[in-house]
Amino acid sequence: MNNDLLKKLVDLYAGRELPSELEQHMEAAAVEDPMLQAEMATLRSTVDTLQRDPGPEFTEESYQRILMKLYARGAAIQPKAPAPVHLQYHLPIQG
Amino acid sequence: MAEKRWLTALSEGDPNALGGIYELYGERIFRYTFRMLGNRTDAEDATAETFLRVVRRSAELRADGAFRTWLFRIARNLCIDKLRQHKLMELPPDAQYSGAEERTTLRVTVHQALNDLPLEYREPLIYCDLEEMSAKEAADILKISVPALKSRLYRGRRALRDKLGSAMERTP
Repeated sequence: MNNDLLKKLVDLYAGRELPSELEQHMEAAAVEDPMLQAEMATLRSTVDTLQRDPGPEFTEESYQRILMKLYARGAAIQPKAPAPVHLQYHLPIQG
Repeated sequence: MAEKRWLTALSEGDPNALGGIYELYGERIFRYTFRMLGNRTDAEDATAETFLRVVRRSAELRADGAFRTWLFRIARNLCIDKLRQHKLMELPPDAQYSGAEERTTLRVTVHQALNDLPLEYREPLIYCDLEEMSAKEAADILKISVPALKSRLYRGRRALRDKLGSAMERTP
């Protein structure tokens, strides 16, 4: 396989879209070509970093604020999730 | 199955339906809008508006598997409108995700680097690498061909790599 074709496959390698045989072939070829090796490693690392990112947390506060916005705009919505803890319990009345 | 049931319920005017759809997709739409807009307040607004539009446009609903694409398209249009407003008002996006777990340097760096990318590159990365959609689904949302989507995705990955630079090398 010539070098130009290998360079064209780098994007597929980075996204783990190649069959394992072809992936191994690329890795073997990259040993002889430091530029290709760097390209393969850095692009794959970029994709891995993105795919590991858990993203912004969907907090209970955000969940409730969105519900409130929906209520405020007149949407008929009955959520399945329980109300937050601070809304579930009441202190006993003393005396 | 749950999606089909709630969509049928929505079309029949069941008051539980919107809650069911919000339970199914609320978190994904929120995450998506946050990644597009870069801050929690706008993401919450856009998420709420997305579900309101689902109700208003429920006559267009089809429980044939295309709902998710349709839903993301609504969210996308809202995000693009908000981004235009931000541009007009020159409001920068927040630089942080909230939540203690997400405050690591690399994550903030990735988030900032993503925000710095042109929308043309950022969107394919959000759909394919962050939301783990197929290229076909992402292309459908963007109304472009799969090869065009892949071309933008590959260019976006390279642009992101170049922006991340040394931060990536320090990643274990």
